[in-house]
Amino acid sequence: MHLQELSEISGVSGQEERVREYIKEKVSSVASEFWTDALGNLLVLRKGKKNSKKLLLAAHMDEVGMMVTRINDDGTLSVMPVGGLRPLVVLGKHVRVGNEVVGVVGTRPIHLQRDQKKKVEWSDLRVDCGFTSKEEAKKHVKVGTYVSFITRFLEGKTYFSGKAFDDRGGCSVLLDVLERIEKPMYDTAFAFVVQEETGLRGSTVVAEQVKPDVAIVVETTTAGDVPELEDYHWATHLGDGPAITFMHRGYVVDPRIFERLIALAKREKVPFQYKMRTAGGTDAARFARSLYGLPSGVVSIPCRYIHSPVSVMHRDDYLHTVKLVEKIVETGEVIP
Amino acid sequence: MNFMVELLKVLTETNATSGREEKIRERILELVSPHVDGHRVDRLGNLVVWKEGKSGKKILLDAHMDEIGVVVTHVDEKGFLRVEMVGGVDPRNLLGARIRFLNDKEICGIVGVEGETREELKRNLEKLDFDRIYVDIGAPSKEEALKRVEIGTFGVYDSQFEKLDDTCVSKAMDDRVGCAVLIKLFESLTDPKHSVYGVFSVQEEVGLVGASVAAYEIDPEVAIAVDVTGAFDTPKALKRMGMKLGAGPAIKVMDRASISDRNLVSRLVETAEKHGIPHQMEVLVFGGTNAAGYQRTKSGIPSATISIPTRYIHTPHEMVNVHDVESTVNLLKFFCQEAFD
Repeated sequence: MHLQELSEISGVSGQEERVREYIKEKVSSVASEFWTDALGNLLVLRKGKKNSKKLLLAAHMDEVGMMVTRINDDGTLSVMPVGGLRPLVVLGKHVRVGNEVVGVVGTRPIHLQRDQKKKVEWSDLRVDCGFTSKEEAKKHVKVGTYVSFITRFLEGKTYFSGKAFDDRGGCSVLLDVLERIEKPMYDTAFAFVVQEETGLRGSTVVAEQVKPDVAIVVETTTAGDVPELEDYHWATHLGDGPAITFMHRGYVVDPRIFERLIALAKREKVPFQYKMRTAGGTDAARFARSLYGLPSGVVSIPCRYIHSPVSVMHRDDYLHTVKLVEKIVETGEVIP
Repeated sequence: MNFMVELLKVLTETNATSGREEKIRERILELVSPHVDGHRVDRLGNLVVWKEGKSGKKILLDAHMDEIGVVVTHVDEKGFLRVEMVGGVDPRNLLGARIRFLNDKEICGIVGVEGETREELKRNLEKLDFDRIYVDIGAPSKEEALKRVEIGTFGVYDSQFEKLDDTCVSKAMDDRVGCAVLIKLFESLTDPKHSVYGVFSVQEEVGLVGASVAAYEIDPEVAIAVDVTGAFDTPKALKRMGMKLGAGPAIKVMDRASISDRNLVSRLVETAEKHGIPHQMEVLVFGGTNAAGYQRTKSGIPSATISIPTRYIHTPHEMVNVHDVESTVNLLKFFCQEAFD
C-alpha cells in the first residue's frame, strides 16, 4: 500500500510532478513500458495473456488545492481555489506554498467578528507565511505558486486519515495491483492522469494513446454517512466495501459493465455497495466521449470529508477495492 | 406503419431512459431496417443506419433515442424508494404523475413529499427537490420492495399518448419525434444521390454522450441534429423567443451549446423556400442539442439543428404539431438530394 506516501505529497491539479515521480519510480520495477505524455499523464502498459482486447484503468493524481493570485503589500497572499473547494474548510489550516514555504490561512478571531453568521468568501482569506513585506514575499512566492494542504497520514485500527485520498487512494490501488498481478488477461493500460479536479482534463487525451475497448475508473468517492444526513441521503457508507456506480454526472454507466462488475464482486466474495448519489462526475464521463466511445465503469473507495484538508477511509474498503480491481485485471471479464 | 401519428405513439410509448436504450433501439431497428442498406450498433449503443449514395459524400442525421427519467438510489425499511433525476427532470412534474420503472415487471410508482408539519410541507412544496420526495410502490417492506426494484433501476414518466386535433401529446416527444422523422425520411429516400447516415443516439439527456463519438467512424461532410425546441405561443409564455406550433420546422441559428454552421443554415433555408416548405428560424436562449457533439468530433464537422417546436418540454405531456413533423421530413428529404449542388 502506498497511500501514506502518496497522500503526503503535494500535487494540486497542474502540479502533479512529485506524485508522478513517486509512481514512476515504483512502476519501473514492475513494468517495462511506460511513458509520460504531453499533458503529464503517466501511462503504464502491461502485456496480457491475450491481446484480442484492451483494458484501460485510470486514477487521477491531482488533488484540490489553491493558487496564489496576488501578493499583498503586507506580505500576505491572496488565493483562489483549484478544483472544487469551499473556503470554509481551509480556514485556520497550515498550508504548503510552493515546495519550500509553509503558511497559515488566517481567520479573524471570534473576538473581532461582528457578524457571526457571515459566509466565508475566498476574498476574505489570506495566506500568512510570516513575510513582513511584499518585497520579502516576492523572493519566495510568485503569482501562480500552488498552495496545498499539509496533513500527516494517520493509521488507526480501522480507519486511515489524511489529505488527498481523492484520488491518491485510486493511485495506490492501481500501484498495488500493478505490483501484485502476475499477468493480466488482456493487454492492460494503467493511466495516472492529471487535472481531473479542474474538469476531467488530463483524461481527454488518454484514450487516443492506448485505444482500449473499455475504461474502468478507480476513484475515491464521497461518503456522506454523517449524523447530519438521513441515511437515504448518504452516497456511500464506510466499511461496506467498494462503491459501484450506475450513473453519475454526464454519463450513465454502460449496463453491461455495471452488471459484470457486480457479478464479479459477488463471485469473488468482495463486499460492495452501490453509489447512491448521482452528483459529481469522474473521468468515465470523458472516456465515454473519447474516440469511437469507450464503454466505461467506475469503482470507488468510499471516503468521508473529501475535498478538505482531512479525509477518512476504512481500511477494509481500501483492501477490498484492491481485490476487486485485481480481479478485474486478472479476468478481463468486465469487457463486454 | 403508414401514419406519422401511429409512429409517434409507438415510439413515445416505448420506455427508455438515457443509458437504458435497449428497448427503443430494438423498436426503431424493426421499423427502419426495411428502408436502409445496413445498420450497426456502436460501442456506446448508438444505432447507426445508412442508405448508400453514389456521390461519395456523406450526410449524417441524428435523433436521440433516450428520454429523461429517474433512477432508484435507496430503499428504506418501510419499502419507500428515493430517486434522482436522469437528465433534466423538474421534481414538480413528478407530483401527481406516475413513474413507470424499466424492469421486467414494469411496476408503477407514486411520488410523495416529506413534511412533518404543515409549514414544513408547504416549504418543501415551494422549494421542491429530489431530497424531499420519495416514491411509493405499495411495497409493505424493504424486502418486498427489493423484489420489485433494485437500486439502480431506471424509470420514466408514465403517461399516455393523445392526439388532440393536429397535435400529438406524449412523454418523450423529446426526441422520439426526431426518431420518427428519421424513420419516415429513410422510408421516403429512394436512390439518394449522397449517402445518408441516420444516428439514433444514446445518452443525449445527460450530456450529449452518444453524439460525441457517433461520427468518429462515419466521418460525414455535414451533421444535422433533429430535436425538439421550445414553442412559446402559449399564454404569457417566454416572450424573448417566437417559435410556434404549426409554423413548420425551426432552423436553429444558435442555442447555448452550439452555433449552427452558417452555410448549412443558408442551404436549409434555400431548400425550404425553393420547395415551399413552411419553416421558421430559431434562436434558443438556453439548451443545446447533439449538434454540439458533432461539431467537436475529430477535426470538426459542420453541423446544424432542425427543431420541431414543442410545448411543455421535459414534462409528461410534450406537444407537437403533426404538420411540423411532416414538413421536417420533407425538408430533410430535399436537403439530402440537393445538399451539395
